[in-house]
Amino acid sequence: MLETIKLSKTFKEKKAVDEIDMYLDEGESVGLLGPNGAGKSTTISMISSLLKPTSGDVKLNGKSTIKNPSEIRKVLGVVPQEIALYEELSAYENLKFFGKIYKVKKELLEIRIQEVLEMVGLKDRQKELVKTFSGGMKRRVNIAAALLHKPKILILDEPTVGIDPQSRNHILETVKKLNEETGMTILYTSHYMEEVEQLCNRVYIMDHGRVVASGSKSELLSILSTEDTIQIQLSKKSYPLLESIKGMEAVRRVEETNEGIRVISKKGSNILSDLVHAAEKVDIQIIHFQMEDPSLEDVFLHLTGKTLRD
Amino acid sequence: MYPVFLAQWMKDKRRPYLILLFIGLSILATIIFGDIDRIEQSTVSVYSTEPNAEEIEQKWIELLDNHDSIEYVLMDKEEAHAEVLEGESDVALQLMENDYRLITATEMPGVFIVEQHVQQVFTEEAKLVAAAGTNSTLDLRKEVAEYLESPPLKVQTESIDGGDIANYDMGMQLLFGFTLFVAMFTIGFKVNGITADKVSGIWNRLILSPVSKTNMYIGHLFYSFCVAFFQMMIVFLIFKYILGYELGNFAMIVTIAAAFTLSMISVAMLITGFVKTPEQFYMVYPSLIPIIPVISGVYMQPGTITNPVLQFIADIFPLSHGVEAMMDVALYNAGWNDILLPIALMLLIGVLAMGIGINMVERRK
Ligand SMILES: Nc1ncnc2c1ncn2[C@@H]1O[C@H](COP(=O)(O)OP(=O)(O)OP(=O)(O)O)[C@@H](O)[C@H]1O
Ligand SMILES: [Mg+2]
Repeated sequence: MLETIKLSKTFKEKKAVDEIDMYLDEGESVGLLGPNGAGKSTTISMISSLLKPTSGDVKLNGKSTIKNPSEIRKVLGVVPQEIALYEELSAYENLKFFGKIYKVKKELLEIRIQEVLEMVGLKDRQKELVKTFSGGMKRRVNIAAALLHKPKILILDEPTVGIDPQSRNHILETVKKLNEETGMTILYTSHYMEEVEQLCNRVYIMDHGRVVASGSKSELLSILSTEDTIQIQLSKKSYPLLESIKGMEAVRRVEETNEGIRVISKKGSNILSDLVHAAEKVDIQIIHFQMEDPSLEDVFLHLTGKTLRD
Repeated sequence: MYPVFLAQWMKDKRRPYLILLFIGLSILATIIFGDIDRIEQSTVSVYSTEPNAEEIEQKWIELLDNHDSIEYVLMDKEEAHAEVLEGESDVALQLMENDYRLITATEMPGVFIVEQHVQQVFTEEAKLVAAAGTNSTLDLRKEVAEYLESPPLKVQTESIDGGDIANYDMGMQLLFGFTLFVAMFTIGFKVNGITADKVSGIWNRLILSPVSKTNMYIGHLFYSFCVAFFQMMIVFLIFKYILGYELGNFAMIVTIAAAFTLSMISVAMLITGFVKTPEQFYMVYPSLIPIIPVISGVYMQPGTITNPVLQFIADIFPLSHGVEAMMDVALYNAGWNDILLPIALMLLIGVLAMGIGINMVERRK
């Protein structure tokens, strides 16, 4: 129902978003993943008609939304990355304000406010001022404010950054429920692979303004079918060992982890004996090693050379 | 528009202190700085050492006793000198048949005012005596007074730039000046709410809503108008009804205040166009605004500022026009026609500043 065609945005010299093609089918839950500065928020701003694209188009049911954004605004609920609330007002007053702004019918508004408060689990705190809330509670009100007018499509821009696990779970549950029970179409932006894995049918991975990969979880994992990941625990850290492993022909990448190192090598290259030899040479024991199934995290690393969270 | 207005009101309702503080400040500043020549009463110790002292004293006291802020008190010579020495009174006045002496120990401005007054009374009397010849001046004075009641010809004295020279009431000018000046802060801080909404993301939420952009602006600006206007009205009402100031035709003062508020809101909007965040505004605005009353000459007698560049800058801001119009109403009984020009100028400034301001705000994304 919603698609972008070669959507691009250039700020002065910088290409923030570069020819992005995306689509959202009705009732889908789609993830948009990418490291800081990948262009996620810029993409979302363009989709939600807040920002004019430099080139490309956004179409709702086949009709361009750029000239006439009123249609998409009607069906859209947007949860911005920042807390877009009046801190000096209570949760209830904020929702009442946004409800009126969104022209929710008077007799319906009170019911809707209570419904969305129930959804985000803040019904009993509604009279308190937003500025007294924890980060997680603010985020929940931030989401509630986007739900009042029952949008068909809900876009969330990193709704879980910097909050406690309890609030985070609550938010994930809420979004899941909205998608599964009311059939709301979801576009969920995040740094966290496991959130997207949990919530979304499909994922777009962005980096440097481009979509570097997309598809369902299994489709993405198949990208890594040419690699093995070996997790090795060592008796002590050793820089020369790291270097000598990096020098091996079949090894694609080596990373230091908390316990030791992780080696990504060409599939079926059988480098185990080489690894043991190398360790012996510098007098280091391999305490433990394990072949790992690749995770989406690894896919991401493979594609962008970055971990998601830094 | 209405919900936007209401939300601003709900926010402020919980913290009305700033407005209350501003109202108090307007009144306090006017009383402290504006009332100097009202509060400062000079007492003059009067005595005479002539043989017919009593007669002389009575005659002159009667003539002198027509000044608002100078009180002439009779006492004997030693007492009078002692008072001056101890600083109880600024000046003592020794009366003679047709002359006087001032005895003082200080160079206070009060002494100067007393000197001026005494001299004026003596000169006038001397003229009357000269005109009356040997006759008693009493009848002549009566005649003159009657004549002045209905003169065949009136001469109005005007200074070069058209203002009345006599009796310029600085206190009144400061009253209007301070009230409008403090209101400029209220206006700025309220208009800044738009920038705050933009930075917090609330503005984006509103843009996605069915509410039109015009209504969003009007909601904010109308609220700013109401708060600032309310603040000024409270101050004026307190001055008029509680402190007993003569503000002239109140409906006209209200109209000028409204035009000033509209105009100043636009200027604040224009300044908003130059800043990116509400914090920047809080830095720029309060350092810019206090300059305006200074170059607008609000703290000085009219005509003090003659530099054409400063005058031009002052004319760009609504403050000088607002204070001038209010002074015309309060002091010179100006009619609606007389205040039409300053009101038109303020509205013109308003339209221009708003046009440019909104354009700049909208252009920067
Ligand atoms: N208004 C702007 N003017 C100039 N550059 C901008 C603007 N907005 C974003 N950018 C740049 O565009 C790039 C993409 O930014 P964007 O906010 O879309 O990234 P993001 O994926 O949302 O990152 P994050 O995870 O930090 O939110 C960044 O390099 C950013 O500096
Ligand atoms: Mg972002």
